[in-house]
Amino acid sequence: MIARYVIPLAIALRPLAAQQPVQQAAAPPRDTTPPAAYYGVTEYQQARTKLEALMQLRGFTVYIVADMEGLAGAVRNATEMRPGDRGGHDPTHEAFRRELALEVNAAIAGARLAGATQFVVNEGHGGTLFRNIHPEDLDPEAILIRGYPKPNVMETGLNPKVDAMFIIGAHANARTPGIISHSYAFDSFTVNGHVLNEAGIAAFIGGEMGVPMVLAAGDNVLTAETRLMLGDIETVTTKIAESRSAAAVFPPSVIHRQIRAAAARAVRRVRLGQLKPLVIERPYHVDFCMRATFQPWVALATANLQGVQRAAADTTDRCFTYQTDSAEAVGNLLNEIEWVVLKP
Amino acid sequence: MRRLALLALLSVTPGLGSAQSTPTPYTPPHLPAPHGFRVFIVPDMEGMGSAVDIHEVIAGNEGERYKTLTSPDYWDHFRDLLTREVNATIAGARLAGARSFVVNEGHGGNLFANIIPWDLDTGAILIRGFPKPLVMVTGIDSTVGTLMFTGAHAGPGHPGILAHNFAFDTFTVNDRHLNEVGINALIASEYGVAVSLVSGDDAEIAETREILGNNFIAIVTKYAVGRMAAITFSPTRIRRQLHDSAAVAVRRAMRGDFKPFRLDKPYHVAFALRRSYSDTVVAGVDSLHWAGLEKAGERSYRLVTDDARQIGYLLDAIERVVLR
Repeated sequence: MIARYVIPLAIALRPLAAQQPVQQAAAPPRDTTPPAAYYGVTEYQQARTKLEALMQLRGFTVYIVADMEGLAGAVRNATEMRPGDRGGHDPTHEAFRRELALEVNAAIAGARLAGATQFVVNEGHGGTLFRNIHPEDLDPEAILIRGYPKPNVMETGLNPKVDAMFIIGAHANARTPGIISHSYAFDSFTVNGHVLNEAGIAAFIGGEMGVPMVLAAGDNVLTAETRLMLGDIETVTTKIAESRSAAAVFPPSVIHRQIRAAAARAVRRVRLGQLKPLVIERPYHVDFCMRATFQPWVALATANLQGVQRAAADTTDRCFTYQTDSAEAVGNLLNEIEWVVLKP
Repeated sequence: MRRLALLALLSVTPGLGSAQSTPTPYTPPHLPAPHGFRVFIVPDMEGMGSAVDIHEVIAGNEGERYKTLTSPDYWDHFRDLLTREVNATIAGARLAGARSFVVNEGHGGNLFANIIPWDLDTGAILIRGFPKPLVMVTGIDSTVGTLMFTGAHAGPGHPGILAHNFAFDTFTVNDRHLNEVGINALIASEYGVAVSLVSGDDAEIAETREILGNNFIAIVTKYAVGRMAAITFSPTRIRRQLHDSAAVAVRRAMRGDFKPFRLDKPYHVAFALRRSYSDTVVAGVDSLHWAGLEKAGERSYRLVTDDARQIGYLLDAIERVVLR
């Protein structure tokens, strides 16, 4: 609540505060120690508790992050990734929503072949405010987490009962030549010096709970960089990027078959103990730079988030550091930043 | 059967009793008499399976403030899902022996015309359109065997999906907070009709349990993780739950397991209009000059009445002001 409403209000009132220098001087220096209760942690814990309570006691649970940029065939953000009411004017958007469901279903089918018994799908694509899969199209056994804002964006409800994570339709990191490459609202994002893309961040948050990221599907840039970050996980290359909006695409039906096979292999390898969660030493020093294309107020608002500090050697005014002992707190910070950027 | 006859008698008497009080703008619509057990279903959309965002439940033609709150692709999809949920409920109820079905649109999207008529179960009478007296329980009378709310949503201040309560920030009767299900259950109790089934998100069910107690069958369609985000399930699964629970609900309702929701008379009603509404809405409600309606604050009001249906008529009048 505080982060969502009071902070934007505080930003809105900043010009007022500037006119009252006496009060400004009286304010205590900003406390930058990690807060005892992290941002949105209450909501996050609630989501996590609710999902945990719904999950099977035994069995094998796969948590699937469903993004869209890396889908077979998708190349253009402005039309294919957006519905009509958010600036897209292309009927193929509907086709890509179905394609997303097909690829997720293929992953579920493959995982099920290898013995997975429960599936949680979390909408990870924000262009449609996290409502892309037609509920009717999804495998009827899957739990679907949809809507916006939801705590912890791409890892809502993730918990230690989950056995493996997949990311489908993933895209390459910001400032790489991948299709629609980006990473949340950042130009760069590192934890203790490890460069992480969105798949990597999911693996980092899951890793702390002992959940390994085991399958990533996306273009060739994404699959290559994710293997560099996470090691020898299963990947499916859906297309070869020629630029940020052109690619040599493989037939969707072939990709579905490959995802099914890779998902089965991934689950089998987790059960054999061959795929381990990503572990990064505590404390986590998170360094990130906001996208250069954003208006200055985005960086301004980000600077106001609790615990966020300006980077020491920052000449651009949009780079920050954040230090914490909790990967979930990083997830919550992402949520806050997403709220700054996407505020509907 | 004797009980039904008694209820029918009761339903006539309030008309005599209220002759000298407020003249009612309401004459009961003459629905065909039921041949067998009648189920009255009030489908709302906010609490239906899968729906999380306002764009999914608004058609965009409800008025100025709703114009940008729709996206037609989602809306079309969700009214289809809604129709299929209602069909599943009817099918389940029929399985348990119900023979007459009245579906009264409970959601204001497209001005109370969300269900696709030619996709609805052919055994159902559909009440659609706006305005309608008693709003969400228009057409209820003592021939109704049991009342079901599907897709209900929590009241304002609760962490539920699209939580709201008609046009109000608070609504109490005899100092008890009522959500939409509670208000309509109270109106239905005037006809001796009890609520047997409620489906909605977890916040809605928790709130309704506080109001109605354990005196109904609940289906949790989704778990809210924000006002517009939820953990949802396959529509197939929700339909199966509705189908099975409706069957159980009808079986138990036939045994008289569910008791009407009663509060002490006279009803002391107090409510406050939403803070987000413009002053013209408040002025509109003031200019109703509703008999017995007292102003208790800037946008709060009080009403004392012996007949819960008066609350329904007032709701209709206020809805007309809001959706004008």
